[in-house]
Amino acid sequence: MTIKIRLLTSILTLALCLSLLSCSSISVFSPEAYKQAVDLKVESLELMVFATSSYAEYEEDVTYLKTELSKAYEFSLGRPNNELSAEQWEILLNEEGNLLGGFLKRWEEEDLLSEMFVTDTQKLVSDAFDTIIGLESGKIDSSILK
Amino acid sequence: MPAFNDFVTTIKDDLLDYAKENLEEYKDEILKDGNIFVEKTKVDLQRWTEGLASGALSQADFEFLLKGKKDLAKMEALKQLGLSKIRITKITNGIIDVVVGSAIKTFL
Repeated sequence: MTIKIRLLTSILTLALCLSLLSCSSISVFSPEAYKQAVDLKVESLELMVFATSSYAEYEEDVTYLKTELSKAYEFSLGRPNNELSAEQWEILLNEEGNLLGGFLKRWEEEDLLSEMFVTDTQKLVSDAFDTIIGLESGKIDSSILK
Repeated sequence: MPAFNDFVTTIKDDLLDYAKENLEEYKDEILKDGNIFVEKTKVDLQRWTEGLASGALSQADFEFLLKGKKDLAKMEALKQLGLSKIRITKITNGIIDVVVGSAIKTFL
């Protein structure tokens, strides 16, 4: 009987250790992060449409959007075990890159952009936001782990 | 130690059932995502090449879009890596449930 109890205790201890280990590998789902990404996707795509017009007319809107995007990036950077999502934001917003950050920089530098370029970059940016949203929505709800 | 041998047999069977149920589903999901990305890339490349030829896209636009696709692929890879980690967490939790369940079935 004592051996059985010891064996059972060892198994349960091992299960507990594995459980703690598995919980620490990636952040849990954040409704706030999810909402931020969805809202910013809509706002970014809506503003991008106007890039066929002069940048000067939309400078204030771009500045506002950039601030909101920075907030989302900082929020993702501050969450524990959230390196993958933070890296996604970094790629999306990089001004030297070729997604939203690079697009807004080009708009500012060139004043207006061609219609096909705007439409097709919008599709890329939309898909890029979807990767962030897809990863966030796939994360485990913390209530399930309790 | 018959109880321990029973436990090993039970856990083997339970884990096999668990793996069959879960791994096939994950494999199909990953393949589906990968195929969709490749198909979308092929269609986009064709349209951008036509846009470049017709003058709807400049050389700089074309290069930006191509590099944008590469950035998007990196973001997609990060998503898949994250989802794999989540699957591992779910599988680990599932294995824990199987181990504990088998132990309780055998010993209690």
